[in-house]
Amino acid sequence: MKRTLSILFTAVLLNGPGTSQAAEEWGIDGEKKARFEAKVVDVLCELTGDCPADCGSGKRQLGLLRDDGTLVLAVKNFDIFAGAADDLKGFCGKRIVADGLLINNPKIPLFALQFKKLAPDGKWSRANQFGKDWSKANGGKKSGQWFKNDPKIKKAIAEKGVFGIPGLKPKE
Amino acid sequence: MKKLLSALTVLAVAFFTVSGAHAAATGKRVTVTGEIVDTWCYVTEIMYGLGTAHHQCAVWCAVGGIPVSVLGEDGNVYVVLKVEGDATSVANPRIINIQTHKVTVDGDLYERDGVKYLIVTQVADDKGIVNMTHEEYGIQPFGK
Repeated sequence: MKRTLSILFTAVLLNGPGTSQAAEEWGIDGEKKARFEAKVVDVLCELTGDCPADCGSGKRQLGLLRDDGTLVLAVKNFDIFAGAADDLKGFCGKRIVADGLLINNPKIPLFALQFKKLAPDGKWSRANQFGKDWSKANGGKKSGQWFKNDPKIKKAIAEKGVFGIPGLKPKE
Repeated sequence: MKKLLSALTVLAVAFFTVSGAHAAATGKRVTVTGEIVDTWCYVTEIMYGLGTAHHQCAVWCAVGGIPVSVLGEDGNVYVVLKVEGDATSVANPRIINIQTHKVTVDGDLYERDGVKYLIVTQVADDKGIVNMTHEEYGIQPFGK
């Protein structure tokens, strides 16, 4: 497990925008590099018919609807501890080429988006929109350690502690 | 006339086939009891992803927009898409506030391509955080 974490965090934290535009392995059980075309959809809309404009404008989980009808849940992006909604919301209803890791896990299948472009010939970009948006919303702070500097997280942890139970503290 | 009828029949079949393909499915009513978890860390097992040990990280991930799930006592992972009428499933403050809690929820279950999606219509019970894992696993992932 430590090896997996080490590989993952090293990949996420150290790779800059200059790296090649192809998925990287993260050492997760069941992962497989995948590049495919799909339509970006609002998952709740796809399942229930509850379809607001712009796929919910980033407030809803988004999926990738492949040509064979398979709905792929995009759970993760390239930023540490962040999802893919910010990367995909601008492509609502459009076809993209997604590049990342399909994780064939017996619990549920997942997809980690690492790069994306408008299909078929758009310009590749790394799936790190969350970090960019976070930095913009937080006075230009670097987003590498966003989770330690986010005001909402600081407030939540200050109120309830790292274990989520007020008064329960780590041993010294 | 026969040709016209035939063409109309083909068009009608095509229309209803296409309409059917886009029609929303109906969910199955369910009651699920379990822990609210971060979907990514729990499923991938990149770290220990349950209880008090993982609470802080689960908050990080929820604020970061990773889907939140209920890990049912039946072992199934139910990805939450809506809670009591609120369709925000990316960094929803209400869900973040009950991260790691043991809850019982009523809702509509939709299954698609190996994923169980849950529309929570009611949080029927909330026992708070009861899964005390920090003694064994410390603070995941980085420690104190």
